[in-house]
Parts: sequence; structure tokens; C-alpha cells
Amino acid sequence: MTNTFAQIDHLASAGDSPWHRSSALSKLLLLFTYVALAVVTPSWGVLAALLATLVAMCVSARAPLRLMVAAAATPFLFAFIFTLAHTRSDWDEPLVLFARPMVAGLAAIWLVITTPYPDLFAPISRVLPRGVGDGLFLTYRAVFTLYSRVERMGSTLRLRGAMARPMQQRFALLGEAVGTVVLSGFDRSQRLYQTMRLRGHSGRVCGCRHYLEFSRDDFWVFLAIVWAGVVSVTLWHLRTS
Amino acid sequence: MSHLHIPDGILPPVLWITGLILTALLLAWSGPVAARGGPRLIAYQSALGGIMLAVMALPVPITAFDYCMTLAGPVGVLLGPAPALQVSFVVTLILALLGQGGFTVVGLNTLVLGLGAMLARPVYLWSVGALRPARAVALATVVSQLASTAGWILVLLLSVRLTPDVAGEHAIARNVIRGIQHAGGAVVVLMLLAAVAIEALLGYGLARFLERVRPDLLPVPSAHRTGPAASSGEGGGARSARPL
Repeated sequence: MTNTFAQIDHLASAGDSPWHRSSALSKLLLLFTYVALAVVTPSWGVLAALLATLVAMCVSARAPLRLMVAAAATPFLFAFIFTLAHTRSDWDEPLVLFARPMVAGLAAIWLVITTPYPDLFAPISRVLPRGVGDGLFLTYRAVFTLYSRVERMGSTLRLRGAMARPMQQRFALLGEAVGTVVLSGFDRSQRLYQTMRLRGHSGRVCGCRHYLEFSRDDFWVFLAIVWAGVVSVTLWHLRTS
Repeated sequence: MSHLHIPDGILPPVLWITGLILTALLLAWSGPVAARGGPRLIAYQSALGGIMLAVMALPVPITAFDYCMTLAGPVGVLLGPAPALQVSFVVTLILALLGQGGFTVVGLNTLVLGLGAMLARPVYLWSVGALRPARAVALATVVSQLASTAGWILVLLLSVRLTPDVAGEHAIARNVIRGIQHAGGAVVVLMLLAAVAIEALLGYGLARFLERVRPDLLPVPSAHRTGPAASSGEGGGARSARPL
């Protein structure tokens, strides 16, 4: 499996579109606007317009097609289960249920591929309890090291035939292999703890303040927010019977 | 996993707003409790959160499906309730930022994942005296996964109940849909049970390995605490069974 985390991190840091140059705070505002509109609107017209806008934004931010499809399609299974449990006989309402999470998923992907994680987490961590805010930064960093270990572990298990064993042995073996990663994670946490002490950790990992630096490119973000408002007002009446 | 991350825009607002409030209250409770562990615990939490995220990305083939592990049970055993809840929240939030699960439902997704993780250590401590640690972790994982699964099904049922029907009244279509619902329900329940069994086997293997290599990482009940490991604190191994 491709390392999605690394790909997103690279896109966020190395990208050079206007979206990348705009501030994290305005992009978070855009995300919340689009998600809020998608959640509250009963109009398929608004959802279609928001979807089209987000696809254009993702393409202009040079989002890989695979990431966009994954973000848009991941909620399908839950939406399908819910629709199956809920639907009586109309078939147009489920389309709205499928479109809403697609809007939210695409907005999320657009945000993370255009915003480096310190800028993204800094404003979020300020509204979270200290331990949780710190955990957000440190967990994200930990993923990279541990993911490569997990990936190597998966390859080793497959190459040595562990995945071809009977079900019971297969998963117990997999558990033991995950145990090695847990040990590695524990050792890593000890080193991290020592580093935090040496650097004088004062009870909070301080994110940078770049997220507050507005630039001319924020104009495009605010334009996208205003556009969402306009299409919502204009197309709100287009809804299922 | 034994439950799917709930996406945005499907559940009724009353449900996800309640989820956000409950999660905020639980996080407020967990903050001071977990803070006692200091930066050492934060580092350990982050490592285990990273492992949860990394392991979730590793697909395990089961017949025609790929299964994604959560490790909520073993992580809950290793950390204790309060830090496990915080880890669940952080993992859920990062997943939401990656488009896996929604933002408005971060609360509900945290509750579903965190409920199981929070139950794991009490169940482990209750059972480890009678069972070996590996079996106790397996049992804790089963309870953890069942709790998460039950929470997920409860959310689904409540949301169906709270959402007004979009009903037209075509009898034939209704009967067809009812048949599909029953068949779909049976498939989902079978998949969820399979997921619980897989996680339990994983937890068993993981605990068997830790018991052999680093037994000091597994918590022991307070009455059995002896030796230097017992005084190593929360992050110096999870030797203390004091709930965090």
C-alpha cells in the first residue's frame, strides 16, 4: 500500500499553488463553511455545485486523482448501510446522503494537501486540552516512522508465508509481529520523552503562528467561501420532492 | 475494523451534537487524569496512537475482503481509560482530516472507538488473575470490540429512528427493500463478529509476545505489584495498574 501519509505531507509542503500560499486559518474557515453547508442543505443542487467547486479546487491544488477518489468514495459503505436501513421506497433522497460526505471528504483532502501539518494543527490544538493538542502533533510525527515499520512487517509476513496459514495462526502471528512495532513505539516514546525534557518542554507543544499570516492568495479562499454562499442561496430550492 | 468511521451529513444533528458534547466532557475529564503521567505519558500515547494509525492502513486479507485493524483493545490495556480516550480522539481527528470519517461526527467516532479502548484495561485487570495475560488481553479485546460494535449499531439505529422517513408508499418496493435490509443486516452482523474474533486473536498474539519479551509493559493489579518495575510510573512501562 502506498504511504498516503507521506504523499499528503509531501504535497502540503512542496506544493506551490495559491491555495498553498494562503493562510491555514482561512482554509479552516472554508472547510467548516463547506462542511456546514453540506450537512444542513436539503438541496441536491447546492451539493452538486459544492462538489464541482471542490473538484476544481483539488485539481488546481494538483491533488492526485487516487487521493480524490479515495476521499470521495470512502464514506460510500456507511452511506450505503444507512440508506439500506433507512430507505422505504424513494430513491432520490439517498443521492443526497451519498453527496454530503463526498463534499466533506473532498474538502478535507483539499485542506490537508495544501496545508503543512504544523500550520494545520496549531490553531486546532489551541482549542483542545493540552495533552490532546500535544498528542496531535506527536502522533502525526510518530506515524511516519511506525508506518514504514508496519509496512516492512507486512511484507515480511507475506513473503514468509504467514498470511497463507490457517486463520487462527495467521492472526496470532500478526499480533506477535505488531508486538515488535509496539516495542519499537515504546522505545521511540522514551527517546522522545528525553528530547522533550532536554528541550525544556513546558507543558505544551507550541505550533508556529504561520497559520495567522494572511496573504494576497487568501483572496481566492474567501472568494470560494463567498461562492459557496451564493450557490447555496441560489440553488437551495432545488431539492427532492 | 469492527465498525466503520461515520461520515458527515448522514446522521441527524441531534445525534452528532450530543456526541460532540459528550466527547468534550470526557476529554475535559481525561485531561487532568492523564496529565499526571507528564510528558513521558504523552510520548507513549503518541507512539501508540501512531501505531493505531499505521496498523489501520495495513489491510489484512480475509476471503474476498480486506480487514483493517484498530488495536483499540490492546492500546486500552497498555494505556488505561483516560489516555486511551485521548488517543482515540487524536486518531479520529487525524483520520477525519484525511477524509476518513467526518468532522461533525468526530465526537461520535471518538465515543465508538474510545468506549471500547476505555473498557479494555478494567476488563484485563479483572481477568488477568484467573487467565494468563495473553488470554486476558484477548478477553479485554473482545469486550472492547463488542462495546465499540454495540455503540456503532446503537448510533445507526438511533439515527434511523430519528430521521424522518422519506416514504412514498409503494408496497412492492417496500417489500423488496425490507428483504434487502434483512439480508444486509445479516451480512453486516457476520462481518462485525468476524472482526471481533480477528482483533481478539491479534490482541492474544501481541500480549503473548509482550509477556515473553517485555512483561513490564503489561499492567498488573495493584496487589501484585512488586520490584523495580512497579515504581517506574505510567510511561516507564505501563506497570502500574492504577487507572489513569
